[in-house]
Amino acid sequence: MHYGFAIDQQRCIGCHTCSVACKIENNLPDEMWWNRILTDGGAEMDIPAGEFPNSTIEYVPVNCQHCENPACAKVCPVGATYRDPETGIVRQDVEKCIGCRMCVAACPYTGVRSFNWEEPQFMLGMDLGDEDVPAHQKHTVEKCTMCYQRVAKGQEPACVGACPARARIWGDLDDPQSEVSQMIAARSKKQLLPEKGTNPSVYYLV
Amino acid sequence: MTELESVAVVDDDFNPAAAPKAREAAGARAAAWGGKGLNAGIAIAGILTVIGIVLWGMQLTGGMAQTAMRNLDSWGLYITMFMFFVGLSAGGLIISSVPKAFGIRGFGGISKVAVMSSIAATVAAIGFVVVDLGQPLRVWELFAYSNLGSPLMWDIIVLATYLILSCAYLWAQVRAEAGKVSHTALRVISVVALVCAVLVHSVTAWIFGLQQGREMWHTALLAPWFVSSALVCGTGLVICVAAALRRAGYLALEQAQLARLAKLLGAFVVVDLYFFGCDLLTEAFPGGEGLAVVEMLVSGPLAPFFWGEVVLCVAAAVVCFTPSLRTTPLLVAASAAAVLAILCKRVQLLVGGFQLPSLDLAGPVTPMTVTSWESGMAGAYQGMVYWPAPIEWGVCAGVVALAVLVFLLGLKFLPLRPKAE
Repeated sequence: MHYGFAIDQQRCIGCHTCSVACKIENNLPDEMWWNRILTDGGAEMDIPAGEFPNSTIEYVPVNCQHCENPACAKVCPVGATYRDPETGIVRQDVEKCIGCRMCVAACPYTGVRSFNWEEPQFMLGMDLGDEDVPAHQKHTVEKCTMCYQRVAKGQEPACVGACPARARIWGDLDDPQSEVSQMIAARSKKQLLPEKGTNPSVYYLV
Repeated sequence: MTELESVAVVDDDFNPAAAPKAREAAGARAAAWGGKGLNAGIAIAGILTVIGIVLWGMQLTGGMAQTAMRNLDSWGLYITMFMFFVGLSAGGLIISSVPKAFGIRGFGGISKVAVMSSIAATVAAIGFVVVDLGQPLRVWELFAYSNLGSPLMWDIIVLATYLILSCAYLWAQVRAEAGKVSHTALRVISVVALVCAVLVHSVTAWIFGLQQGREMWHTALLAPWFVSSALVCGTGLVICVAAALRRAGYLALEQAQLARLAKLLGAFVVVDLYFFGCDLLTEAFPGGEGLAVVEMLVSGPLAPFFWGEVVLCVAAAVVCFTPSLRTTPLLVAASAAAVLAILCKRVQLLVGGFQLPSLDLAGPVTPMTVTSWESGMAGAYQGMVYWPAPIEWGVCAGVVALAVLVFLLGLKFLPLRPKAE
C-alpha cells in the first residue's frame, strides 16, 4: 500500500477549504496550518505575477509530501518521524519528539513542518475533529499525518472530501486501478522539487 | 596537516636563551596569583550562569515563542553558537596534542591550559544544543531510541566522547608530569584525541552539509572547511588565553612561542579563506540557485557578515605574517579578529540556510511562520530573515558564562600551571 494524492491545479480555486477541513479534523492549535494554499505568482498570497492583462497566478496546495525518500525521517535522532511501510504515510510521533527541529531544517518543502512554539491554544473552548487525533504538545514538531486516524478506519483524508472543486484525489498509488493512479497516468503531472531526490507521494496535475 | 608538521621548521625567531629568565620572572609573580581577581571572575561567571538558567526556565515554561525562531527559520542564535563553540574547542586540544602526537616541539607551558579551554568550549557547545531543545526532559530517548542514521545522533555521540576524552587527556598530562603515565601512553592518547577532534568538526558540519534541502549547506567541502575554521578560531582563542594568562602571571610564555602560534594562525586563516573562495566559485559558476547564495552573501542581507569575515581574516593574516607586527597587543587583536571572523562565518551559514527557501512561494502567514511575519512574506526576507530576541541573548550569555566558569574553576582548582623547572 502506498497512499498518495493527486492535486488538480486546473480545478483548484484557492479557497482554502481543504486547509480549514484539515484544521478542524485534526483540532489544530491557533496559528497552525498543516495544509496551506500557496500562490505561484507575486510576492504575497493571492497576488498575481506580471502586469495586467498579462498577469499569471496559480494555486499550489502544499501539505507534507509523504516522500518515499523522506529527508526528515533520515535526520530525526530518535526516530519520531518515520515512513510507515504499511501505508507509505510519513508519520510523526509527538510523544517521542525531542523538539530539536532537525526535520524542519531537513525538509525541502519549506513550511510543511510546524513547531508548537508555545502551549497550544485553541480559539474555541472545546476540541474539534476526530477523537483519535493525538493531543498537540508544546515544543514538538507537527505536520500533515494524511489523517492517519481516518485512513486507519478506511476513510479518506478530511481535505479530500471537503474540496468544493473536487481538485484533490487520494488513494493507493500502488494500485493501477485506483482513481488517483488513473488520473496521474492520464494527465500531465509534476512533483514538487524533484531535483531534491525525495520522490514525493503528491502529484500535481497541470 | 602540512601547516601543523611545519611547526618545528618555521620558528626562525625562536630563542631558547630567553626562556629561563621569563619563567623566573613569571614564577615570582605567580606566587601571589589566583587571589581576588580570579574569585571575582568565578563569582561573576557564576551569577551570569544562574541568570542564564533562570531565563532558560522562562523559555521552557513560557514557550519558545519568546525567541525569534519560527517555522521558516527554525534554528537561531543557539545553533549558531553551538557551531562556533565546537570550533573553539578545537584549538586547545589540537595545539596541545599535535606536538605530542607527532613528536615535535610544543608550545611551552600552555598545553594543559589549552586543553582546559577545549573542555570549557565543549561544555558550552553541549549547553547550546540543550537550550535549543524543545523537550530537554526527553533527552534520554536519544539513548533509548537512537536513530544511528541521523547526523545529529552522530554528533551527540562524538561530542560526548570528545568531552570525556579531553578530560582524560588533561588527566593523563597531569599524571605524566607526576611520572605516573608513560610517554608512550600519553602519545597514544594524543593521537586518539586528535582524531576525535577532527571527527567532531566533520560531524558538526554534516548536520548541515548532508541536507539536500538547503542550498547553502549542501556541499562536500563543509566538513574540511569546518575543520579549518575550527583551527582558526581555536588557535585564536589559545593565543588570547595564553597572552592573558601570561599577563596575569599564571604561566610563562616566550614571545617566540606566541609568534609560532601566530604563524600557525596565519596559515589556518589562509587555508580557511581559500576554502571560502573555492566554495563561492563552485556555487556561483553554474549560475542558478548557487549564484543566489553568493549574491545573498556578497551584496544581500548577509553582506555585513560576509565582508566582516573577509576583512577580519585578511587583517589577522597580515599581522600574523609580518614579523614587525608580531607584538603582543597586535597578536591578541589579530587572534580576536580571527575568532570574530569565524563567528561571522557561523552567522552566514546558519541564517543563510534559511534565507533562501527552497519552496519559494507566498502563502498564509501567521505569527508562528517567520520572525518578521507582520511585514508579510516578502518583507520577512527583505533583511536577515532571523535576528535573535532578547531572551536568546540572555540564555546565550548564560551558556558562555558557564564555559568561562568551568575554565576559571579549572584554573583555580586543577594543577594546570606548567611544572616549575
